[in-house]
Amino acid sequence: MIQKMKSVLVAGPKKDFNQIVDVLYHTGTLHLEDVNEYLPPGNTTVRKLEPEHQSEISALLAKIDGILLLIPKKPEDTEKEGRFYDEIHRMTTPGVIERANHLIGDLGETTRDLSLKREELEITIIGLGRYEKIIDKIQPLEQQLPILQGFEVTVLIVLKEFSDVLDIIRPMLSEITNNQFELISAELDEESIAAITVFNKKYSEQVHNFLFSKNINEVRIPADYANMPLEKALLLIDTHRRNAIAERDEITEKLSLVSSEWYPELSGLRKVLAEREEEIRAYMNFGETDYTVIIRGWIPGKLISKTKNALEESFGDRVVMTETNATEKMMERAPIFYDNPGWARPFEFFMQLASPPKYYEIDPSPIMAIFFPLFFGIIVGDIGYGILILLFGLILRYRFKAVKWLHQISGVLIISAFPAIFFGYLFGEFFGNLGEMMGWLEPVTLFGVTWNRMEAIVPLLIVTIAIGVIHVVLGLVIGIVNGITRKKRKHVCEKCGLLGIVIGLLVLLGVIIEMLPSYLLIPAFVFIGIATILVIYGGGTLGAIEIMSTVGNILSYARLMAIGMASVILALVANALGGAIGIVLVGVLIAVLLHALNLILAMFSPTIHSVRLHVVEFFSKFYEGGGIPYGPFGTAQPPVKK
Amino acid sequence: MSWELGIGAAIAFAGGAIGTGWAQSRIGAAGAGTIAERPEATGSVIVLEAIPETMVILGFVVAAMIIIMVK
Repeated sequence: MIQKMKSVLVAGPKKDFNQIVDVLYHTGTLHLEDVNEYLPPGNTTVRKLEPEHQSEISALLAKIDGILLLIPKKPEDTEKEGRFYDEIHRMTTPGVIERANHLIGDLGETTRDLSLKREELEITIIGLGRYEKIIDKIQPLEQQLPILQGFEVTVLIVLKEFSDVLDIIRPMLSEITNNQFELISAELDEESIAAITVFNKKYSEQVHNFLFSKNINEVRIPADYANMPLEKALLLIDTHRRNAIAERDEITEKLSLVSSEWYPELSGLRKVLAEREEEIRAYMNFGETDYTVIIRGWIPGKLISKTKNALEESFGDRVVMTETNATEKMMERAPIFYDNPGWARPFEFFMQLASPPKYYEIDPSPIMAIFFPLFFGIIVGDIGYGILILLFGLILRYRFKAVKWLHQISGVLIISAFPAIFFGYLFGEFFGNLGEMMGWLEPVTLFGVTWNRMEAIVPLLIVTIAIGVIHVVLGLVIGIVNGITRKKRKHVCEKCGLLGIVIGLLVLLGVIIEMLPSYLLIPAFVFIGIATILVIYGGGTLGAIEIMSTVGNILSYARLMAIGMASVILALVANALGGAIGIVLVGVLIAVLLHALNLILAMFSPTIHSVRLHVVEFFSKFYEGGGIPYGPFGTAQPPVKK
Repeated sequence: MSWELGIGAAIAFAGGAIGTGWAQSRIGAAGAGTIAERPEATGSVIVLEAIPETMVILGFVVAAMIIIMVK
């Protein structure tokens, strides 16, 4: 259920401002609201609070983050970090800023320079490595080429798939250079081919332009290594590379030293600055007069006394917190704080898919907690799968205690496994028709129908649609209750009209299949007529469309039968296939694999469809959503419930 | 059971499958883009992606009904 929220006002002397905020921050119960929204227009006494230092702190945080990115992380010294945090935390904001500036001044430049240098070196190392590889490959080719004065050597790299291009450019190069050229190629690595061409320097520019226009990759050997025999070039490149690597490692070492010296202080400082920044952002919600500071917000009823005590402890009588009367309009903006009983809590996970409910609405999670397992059970309807799902849920819960959403999903699976087992017993299914084939169990016969899912299709269809009617009617009733609480007449009329139409159609159906006496025919039509008028009065043309969509929604529940049948048939196929194969072991293996597939589908598909039935068909009958989750000042997320 | 039943059932299922495949492919593409920009919308996108599943299920139901119920 949704917790009671109280609107409160905190007022205190301005000189204690920082401390008040600090106490509230560390109590972490107040959900802040902007004071200005509550002030009558034209008021001059209360002004918006102007936070100082805000831009400074943001800039400092950015700079510190920059530095922290460059130096290697050293998270081991959390104790040291804690000590720094305590020390800096007590300082006033200007003091913190000064210290930050001091630190950044020292470190900022050094780290940046070192880092840049290191990046440059990395690039050089990679570049040199590449040249080395290429020159290494073309060295044997060099012997075949004449070393002549006035001739230029260029190396080309071509991907193997485009190797034909060499044959194409050969005659063209010949033309450009008047046949004063030579082109030899060899494989460079798995993907590419290297080719050397030697040509008269006169035609250098034309050749390069030509190659460029054909998008051929040219490797320009840098000037330092160009005009020497390739062997010597190789040695030189190797030495340079080794030097670069050594230098780079030296720089990494230096950065590491910097990190171990300064990291704890930097991260402690960062934490304090981040906290201050959040506090300052909250200040925008506060108001001030000449001597007082005013803060407005929401607190759950339960936590009011705790907060009052905290304030009294620090300030005695100087700071006052009062509950204010909340008008209806104000209550619309009250934040939502869930406090569901244990069995409903896992289903809050699905509420994330729709937005949290508004404060005055009925919280749908307990209702979901009842119907979701029911739908899940009907769709899965297999004892064997139910047991496996239960085991899986239990394993998930104990293995992944820390991950919140897995915890909730495991809760959902565990709760939903029981109806699955129950319906499995009803349908006489244990891994499909395995149970029936082995004579262990058979479908129960209720109300003259044997509930074998393969044969009792029509009765099952009727049952699921009946469930649909109940669910939709429930939704409409909740919608009517919500409408009455908020005194929205048109809403109530529309929902009543829809309800009337559904009931009327049911009566009509009853008369047609001769379950109800035929004199009800005319009254049913009249009833539907009146209901339609109500709907159009309450909702206009949109309301008329709602009629069709409501009927569609009810029929949509037939999927409970359909998906279930799909699962049954898959299990049947698994068993049949397993039995048909002569070799027992192979047959069992195949059957197990298919059943495993079916099980995974049976965990995923019913969940999605049940959630979809709730979110789309059920909620559309009454839910508005758009609520604000309770996010108190001081912690980023709502407090963890014990 | 004559061959016409089989073909009829196959057509029923194929129609549903094609419809669902086409619909979900477009939703999936749009959804991938949405999640890339706003990861908090992941839950809604998954639900949206699953909504067209109905078509293939109903197609399957019709196919099964044809095979099972038509004599």
